[in-house]
Amino acid sequence: MSNVESLPRRILQSIIGFVRGWIESVRVKKRDYLVAAVELILAGLTGFLVAGIVLLVMGYDPIWIYSVLFRYGYSSPGYLGARSAALMMTGLAFSIPILAGVFNIGGESQLYLGALTGLVIAYYTGNIWLGLIAGFIGGAAWGLLIAALRVYRGINEVITAIMLNWTAYYLIIYIILKYLPNPTQSHLSIQIPENMMLSYSSTFWLAVLGAVIAYILLYYTDLGYKMRIAGLSPRTAVYAGFNPRKAILFSMLLGGGLAGYGGALHIIGVASAFDTTMSTVFGLGFAGIGVGLLGRNHPIGIIFASVFYAGLIIGGQFVELYTGAPPYLSDTIIGIIVIALAIPYAYRMMINYITLLRGGGK
Amino acid sequence: MSGEEVVVMKNIHKIYPDGVVALRGVDFTVKRGEIHGLLGENGAGKTTLMRILYGEIKPTRGEIRVFGEKVSFHGPWDAIRRGIGMVYQHFTLVPTFTVKENLYLSLLSVNPKASMDEALERVRRIVEETNLKIPLEYLVEELPIGVQQRVEIVKNLIREAKILILDEPTSVLTPVETEELFKALERFKEMGLTIIFITHKLKEAKRITDRITVLRRGRVVGTVETNRVDVKDLARMMVEREIIFKIEKKPARRGEALLEARDLHVLDDRGVEAVKGISLKLYRGEIFGIAGVQGNGQRELAEALAGIRRVESGRILLHGRDITGLSAAERYRYGLAYVPASRRIGLVSEMNIVENTALTNLYRVLMKMRVINWSKASSIASEVVRRLEVVAPSLTTPIKYLSGGNQQKVMVGREIVREPDVFIVSEPTQGLDVAATEFIRRTLIRLRDEGKAILLISSDLDEVLQLSDRLAVIYEGKFMSVGRPEEYTLEKLGLLMGGVSV
Repeated sequence: MSNVESLPRRILQSIIGFVRGWIESVRVKKRDYLVAAVELILAGLTGFLVAGIVLLVMGYDPIWIYSVLFRYGYSSPGYLGARSAALMMTGLAFSIPILAGVFNIGGESQLYLGALTGLVIAYYTGNIWLGLIAGFIGGAAWGLLIAALRVYRGINEVITAIMLNWTAYYLIIYIILKYLPNPTQSHLSIQIPENMMLSYSSTFWLAVLGAVIAYILLYYTDLGYKMRIAGLSPRTAVYAGFNPRKAILFSMLLGGGLAGYGGALHIIGVASAFDTTMSTVFGLGFAGIGVGLLGRNHPIGIIFASVFYAGLIIGGQFVELYTGAPPYLSDTIIGIIVIALAIPYAYRMMINYITLLRGGGK
Repeated sequence: MSGEEVVVMKNIHKIYPDGVVALRGVDFTVKRGEIHGLLGENGAGKTTLMRILYGEIKPTRGEIRVFGEKVSFHGPWDAIRRGIGMVYQHFTLVPTFTVKENLYLSLLSVNPKASMDEALERVRRIVEETNLKIPLEYLVEELPIGVQQRVEIVKNLIREAKILILDEPTSVLTPVETEELFKALERFKEMGLTIIFITHKLKEAKRITDRITVLRRGRVVGTVETNRVDVKDLARMMVEREIIFKIEKKPARRGEALLEARDLHVLDDRGVEAVKGISLKLYRGEIFGIAGVQGNGQRELAEALAGIRRVESGRILLHGRDITGLSAAERYRYGLAYVPASRRIGLVSEMNIVENTALTNLYRVLMKMRVINWSKASSIASEVVRRLEVVAPSLTTPIKYLSGGNQQKVMVGREIVREPDVFIVSEPTQGLDVAATEFIRRTLIRLRDEGKAILLISSDLDEVLQLSDRLAVIYEGKFMSVGRPEEYTLEKLGLLMGGVSV
């Protein structure tokens, strides 16, 4: 058999092998997948039901509100994709550290930093690719700071992240007003020119690329493998000769970097500039926590979760427009749905923790 | 002194939900005002019996009387109300509270309306009576272990404990602290308290107790008056068994020394010295057994050899090369394998067989750009499954769905397939059924015959006696002796494990 014949055959065989392996793993973990699916469906239903009751109590017709929400939220695929880019990245910024056993709620400020460095570099160099790279670096540095304080000084990452979120918030407002004012529109920062902006679809696919790279790093390299081991069982990591500290640093570097990349994508692909009240970026990082939980902390799941979530956000704006419901109402609905979806997961994490404690005793 | 019987436990059985039988019909009686020793090896059932008396777990069958009254405890609070107190090996104090606050807290648990003044008054009275000195204003975490233990004891006394259970109380103490504790116990006895003293240390049992009950494998071997027996009798009672050398093995063909440790000193997690100057040489083609009751430095020794735990002083040589400064991963690559005692440490239960196999085989499956070759990892995993006869639905089954025996086989097998020269194996058959145990033991002998060097650390006497070519007994971080297994009688082993040199 010649090489020319065997090459496609080998590719075919490896594809078959991969699919077989996948089917096998589905078969074995059937129960786990089934439980996850049932949980998601039940949680979704509960979320919409509870939110519906809230709407009724407040005097709105839930059917009407939901129909607006879904009709307009998902009607424009391009825009939907672009809006999900930043959420996808902040979702990963939450989930990747979770896999290493770190609770990163600093995705918000990591996104700010990345958006700022991305904007500045893209604006002054005229090169959006450099801007995206700068965004990653800015977010990574901010994330690494949190990790370093945890690893070398034992400071709880949640505290650091909360404080740094506000530090970044005011710092950036200050920088925009003082150093980057827009000469023509006083409520904006310097602006990426229209012709340089990424298209909606490239914005989305660049985000998907980020998620896929994260997926490969996590599941197909030793860095990700060691990180996941350290997250699931630090003692096992030590036994195998891995350094759990490195895992924490790496997870925050990657998570923070992706949040920053998401911030840069959001500026270069959607918003084009900061506004002086930060309303274009505010909340994207916090929403990432919900996206990460919804996506079950898996990069591929997070891609879908971010699109779903972005649709809710867009639809929520239309709900406000068409029904006159206050803007907070859509936030409330989203909040309830996300909580409902996250509860079973959080519940299982708690159960695992408790069994660990019980079994740990003699 | 030979007063009424304050504790009577009759025909106590305990079967844990996972099927482990801990107690098989134990009768246990304690008299008022005595110090009663409870002696036995690991897994003899000492702690289980006392946790039942303290109401922490319920017996499967059996009857308990305390101060003559039949009781059925729902939890420790019931036992505390009846005047029973327990001091665990791991203390139950709040580290960030002061001593005073901890004592107040413990009083609140029996009397929610008590005031701090009341607590202090009680403490003052107890300190006066017992002469136990405790620093009230200090944070617990700042105190040495011995003082923390004193606080723990006072904590039980202010709840008016009449019967005090101490679980291996000297295992965390220095000799001076131990002596102080014994003085305190003698004073308690004068005060009329009853003390149950769990231990595996023969000399201590002989020194401090009035009577001793010896447990072995969930049964009472006997209860004796301490002054009528000597440590040899106790040792025999503790370890006596029929040893069946059911595994046939060829005589060892010993080669050159592969692993050497020179005067190792290692600390435990609390920073206390756990390995106190151990030297050993492990040769090709032999199984070197280390027997001893758990917690005498075995874990620290194994971890230091594997490179997981820092060595305070001393050297470790592999193939004659100094590896003291090398990381665990590097040592594994140079031909060392370590199978830890706990599957919780060795395995990640949520991950599948392939991912768990890759753990120590990572250097073999890494390609360019640090990409993991999962298909190679799968083939290594299937080799493990094939060679160790692991029963599993598939390679992608999460390890938690496998039986304990099959988990153990994965943990041992993934080391075997990477062909190291030196194995450090810790409690390889703990909690396994007969068939799996037999399989693992035969595998170890086969490895020996193939010219590997095996360091077998086990608290299972049958195991070390059956498998070892040379056998050392470890006690409080030191080897009590090294010799051929035939040189040991059971009595001698029992004495050595209990810290009595022969």
